[in-house]
Amino acid sequence: MRPKRRAHRTAVYALVAVIALWLVGPFIWLFITSVSYQRNLLARPLALIPPEITFDNYRMVLGLVRFHAEGQAAKILPSMLNSLIVAAAVTVVNLVIGTTAGYAYARFRVPLKTFSLFALLFTRMLPTVVLIPAYFLLFKALGLQNTLTGLVLAYCSFTLPFTVWIMKAYFETIPTDLDKSALVDGCNRLQAYYWIVLPVSGPGLVASGAFTFMLCWNEFIVAQVLNTKLGTTTLPPVIAGMNGQINIDYSVIAASGFLSALPAVLLVLGFQKYMVQGLTAGSVKG
Amino acid sequence: MASAPPDRIASPVLAPGLTARRFRLSERSFASLLILPAFLVISLVVLFPLAYSLWMSFADVNLLRATGPAVELFGVRIPLFRYVGVQNYLRLLADPNYWDALWRTVYFVGAFVFETTVVGLGMALVLQERFVGQPVMRSLLLIPWSLSRVVVGLLWIGILDVEFGALNGVLYKAGLIDSYISFLKSGFSALNVLVSVYMWNQAPFATLLLLAGMQSIPVELYSAAEVDGAGYWQRFRHVTLPALRGMLFLILVVSTVNGFLMLDLIYVLTMGGPGNETTTLSWLGFQTAFQFFKFGPGTAILYTITLFCLILAVIYQKVVFRKLEAEQA
Repeated sequence: MRPKRRAHRTAVYALVAVIALWLVGPFIWLFITSVSYQRNLLARPLALIPPEITFDNYRMVLGLVRFHAEGQAAKILPSMLNSLIVAAAVTVVNLVIGTTAGYAYARFRVPLKTFSLFALLFTRMLPTVVLIPAYFLLFKALGLQNTLTGLVLAYCSFTLPFTVWIMKAYFETIPTDLDKSALVDGCNRLQAYYWIVLPVSGPGLVASGAFTFMLCWNEFIVAQVLNTKLGTTTLPPVIAGMNGQINIDYSVIAASGFLSALPAVLLVLGFQKYMVQGLTAGSVKG
Repeated sequence: MASAPPDRIASPVLAPGLTARRFRLSERSFASLLILPAFLVISLVVLFPLAYSLWMSFADVNLLRATGPAVELFGVRIPLFRYVGVQNYLRLLADPNYWDALWRTVYFVGAFVFETTVVGLGMALVLQERFVGQPVMRSLLLIPWSLSRVVVGLLWIGILDVEFGALNGVLYKAGLIDSYISFLKSGFSALNVLVSVYMWNQAPFATLLLLAGMQSIPVELYSAAEVDGAGYWQRFRHVTLPALRGMLFLILVVSTVNGFLMLDLIYVLTMGGPGNETTTLSWLGFQTAFQFFKFGPGTAILYTITLFCLILAVIYQKVVFRKLEAEQA
């Protein structure tokens, strides 16, 4: 029995090590390349531990030193700000209107409940790209092309259904007795929701808020197509654009990629407990 | 929006009928009111554009012509273009590129769903074992999943590139290859790289779902099986797998949809090439609409995918809702 158990333990640790390397190895390598000189990356044999470390790539990306492709790099910070504005605005919209809808679905008989829940499910599975031609023409007619408002509207299309769903699942875990006793105590229904139920819904709000923010921060295709004018787009299209240019070293692109990844990774790791709970509940419950 | 919390002592005295009842809505209308804002926004940013795109797939969309049939909505002129019936769809069905892309998509989705399920389940089985650092591993699972697909593409370029890729560097150092390999040069290899890179991004989430499912399996089931002399694989087959059926079905549906819709990684890694050997349906539709600016045929292609997603959503709802009803009954 004993040696068999030891073999089992060794196998588990070996597999865990392989999985860990596979999960974070590429991300760590992105960081390593971002603090390396391109000439060391091109060297053969390749040194996995960089012989020289430099923060020049970050300085170039942040516009602190001049270099030959600084026009491209100069877009990073403004587009980062755009990303932040859009993601924050969509998150607020989602938390306000998505949450109230989720509460209604969790608690009350709603007209056309089954049908509208199915419509939400379908919207979740809908290819966003099929909507872009319509956005393209409609936003042009409305003057919303190349604006952050346009992006905020477009991003609600794929975030709002998720928020309603996650919040519905979350409110279903809160006992209805809480609302009922609030009603008995003299609250009306809106007050019961706003003053009694919402304050204990923190984990659900954090889960859907963080998830919404992450989706918007990472979105690429919509911003790439709709906001093409200089200074109006978000971070992912700018980085993808740098990737297409031959005169920019990979190490510089890696630095901007790492900068863009960091906020989302920190957000998700910071709120992981709530996010995993909220997302598993939201995706499992029909 | 909401007023101050009612004073618990004072409210019964303050004739409840006078203040509260005047604003009391029926439960149904209150619920409808709560849903209304979300409903309006979703109609505005999903349903209406969806219908407009559908219309475009039946039209000859000329983006350069400013005149032509149009509809005025609240003072905004929305061009309608010339209606051409099912012409865009008929052209698609006659286009060998469309069929090529369709079969490629079928391969892509099949390989992606298979890899995601197998790797996701494999990781879940390992991470469910007892070992030091289990919580850390669960956090690490979130890293690939939280990255933007642009960054996912970038960091795999760093691993696979023919000039500076780390994998090439490691293989070369180990003496396994004589010269660096260009993983994205041949079409079939590029397609498989796309599948695996996307799987790297998505499988960790499947693992999280499966781990959550495993936690809800009662421990007694395992100890009972052990008493009966069931080995590891028997316990997996007869206890773990049946309990995870719902979760696996969910993963199957979600990854099928995601596989069909994958676009951003293709943009960053291959642009549908070499040639058109990594052109899936969604890339073909995207390319037709936004690189060649043929909105009519482009929306027609994208609508064939949309239709497929609708069918999957119906199947999913049928299965899941029936299960929920069975549980509630």
